[in-house]
Amino acid sequence: MFKIINFVLALAIALPVYAFAVDGTNLLKEVDRNLSPESYESYRKLINIEPNGKKKEFTLFTVKKGTDKVASVFLAPASEKGRSTLRLGDNMWLNIPNVGKPIRITSMQSVVGGVFNNADIMQLDYNAEYNVAKVEEKSSEYLLYLKAKTKSVAYDQLKIWVDKKKKLPTKIECLTEANMLIKTLYFKEVKDFGGGIVRPAVTETDSPLYKGYKSVMIMAKVKKRTFKDEIFTLTFMPNLESLR
Amino acid sequence: MKRSGLIFLALLFLAFPFLALAEENYTFDLSEIEKKPYQFSGYVEARPVLYGLDTDAAFYKLRFYDDSHRQTLGEANGRVRLEGSYEKSILRIFARLNTDLQYNDHTNGSEKTTFYEAYASTKPLTSVKIDVGKKTLKWGKGYAWNPVAFADRPKDPDDPEQAMEGYVIATADFIRSFGGPLKTLSFTPVLFPVYEHINSDFGNTNHLNIAGRLYFLFYDTDIDLLFMAGGSRPNRYGFDFSRNLTTNFEIHGEYAWTTNHRKTVMDPAGAARQVEDEAHSFLVGLRYLTSFDLTTIMEFYHNSAGFSRDEMKNFYSLISSGFNAYQTSGDLTGLGRAMQLAESGYARSSAMRNYLYVRLIQKEPFGILYFSPSLTCMINMDDLSASIIPELLYTGITNLELRLRAGFITGAGDSEFGEKQNDYRIELRIGYYF
Repeated sequence: MFKIINFVLALAIALPVYAFAVDGTNLLKEVDRNLSPESYESYRKLINIEPNGKKKEFTLFTVKKGTDKVASVFLAPASEKGRSTLRLGDNMWLNIPNVGKPIRITSMQSVVGGVFNNADIMQLDYNAEYNVAKVEEKSSEYLLYLKAKTKSVAYDQLKIWVDKKKKLPTKIECLTEANMLIKTLYFKEVKDFGGGIVRPAVTETDSPLYKGYKSVMIMAKVKKRTFKDEIFTLTFMPNLESLR
Repeated sequence: MKRSGLIFLALLFLAFPFLALAEENYTFDLSEIEKKPYQFSGYVEARPVLYGLDTDAAFYKLRFYDDSHRQTLGEANGRVRLEGSYEKSILRIFARLNTDLQYNDHTNGSEKTTFYEAYASTKPLTSVKIDVGKKTLKWGKGYAWNPVAFADRPKDPDDPEQAMEGYVIATADFIRSFGGPLKTLSFTPVLFPVYEHINSDFGNTNHLNIAGRLYFLFYDTDIDLLFMAGGSRPNRYGFDFSRNLTTNFEIHGEYAWTTNHRKTVMDPAGAARQVEDEAHSFLVGLRYLTSFDLTTIMEFYHNSAGFSRDEMKNFYSLISSGFNAYQTSGDLTGLGRAMQLAESGYARSSAMRNYLYVRLIQKEPFGILYFSPSLTCMINMDDLSASIIPELLYTGITNLELRLRAGFITGAGDSEFGEKQNDYRIELRIGYYF
């Protein structure tokens, strides 16, 4: 009888703790969904800013489907127009209209130069690439410690600061396996894009590897849209702009 | 102390609104992304080149036999490329017009205007696209060579990223996607007419050739099976593949088999004859990116239909004897024969059998954004002659591309690169996109 009472008491004490413990994986999935619908289209402007203030801008149209399919086509500047990128899981390709055929590229390269690399530009859902190793609860934020699921992921570890109320990231640190900081992403200007999509419109990044340089990504016209799988193929890459 | 503290606070207070305003506001003007049914763009290029000539080389004698004391050649090149498209519903028309201008004080000026591409497309379904007109297909995975590019003009390994002229074809793409290890399957059939006024430079006329490509993305590997048949050229079959082994390491390869390949060769007696045999060519290559952003592209290319060392030596001997005959008696017979043979294949790029291509590109060294120096080396593995090309590329000004390039040749007499007309060349390429 005592055993039963002890068990009930222990359960009663433990239950509130359990109920309030943060499930990191679910939180990460929530962050992913708040950042973007599972399938959507968007326009993005990437701005590389040099220490002397000089800027170079790129405009892209991007489509995404599910957890592992992203494709983009450059709309500006004229020198990049028509270039398209495709990501299927760990596979990435770049199609340059004049050169012709899509060539395989790697996540750590950058098709635009500057601080953003290909993995940043063709970002998949974080929970598709990372496991949550630890969650720390702070006064207004959660701090998620993520570990890459495979070696093929661009950054081995991520630290994501998540706004408790909005369940949106405010800052992400990208680290190597040896805990070396590669870059920091800052999420700013939360905006209602319509259709229930409320997310930061601006992502800034800097890196200790590029001291004084900064890159900025501005989102526009983010909206839910479904796509056929055939769009996310090498053969379709030259035709991506027809989706606009 | 108090006073200075107050002054500091007052200054801070006054400055605060400006500090707050200093936070940059980024704008995205939506008119920039408005889609228009028609599009127009273009590229203009100026390319002055200085050639340092090798007066002992066979190709120098062939080209400058009547001007044999020339040490250098200055050349001014220009290019204008205009592109336009119109899209309505499932229909799209596209054209790319290229004009090349060249002036040097040996051959004087020349101009060539060509439609590189001009075709109409229809996309009745997401998974189906049909193109009719002049188009490049660009088959193959290799960077410098593409032995499986059966329906394209050969690439220039000296400048493999240049736009190329297509052929008049009718082609379609059928795409299917799947779950599981086979993610994508696509089929591209091609009808390739070769008649008196259509694609007549491709091969034997009065043939409707067919070609095709079957593409798989299977276990994260790109695989293509390709063929071309029909009579204008000997039938050919091939495959290629490409795969990322890690995030920074890619491998690729191509293999092509040509039945009844014909070529004109010279025997030691100086007689030219046609030989016919099956030909095998393959390419294996890799791309590797280091942690400090150095990209290495390395490829080995073998072509069993290429000329042997002895066949090339016989050709160089013909030029030499023809040149001597011209010098002594003004007789152009020997040089005329050599020119014919040069056009039949001896003068083409990568005319021999085994080549190694290495290209090293350092992205943004010393923190200089948009600056990429590179070094390219193409080695003829049969005679160990080589071409070495250092290059500086700067793309920091929007739509402007500045490329300073040099080219140096190493190789003994009777070797492929040793017998090229130049010892060195220096060129500046200024390109502007609009």
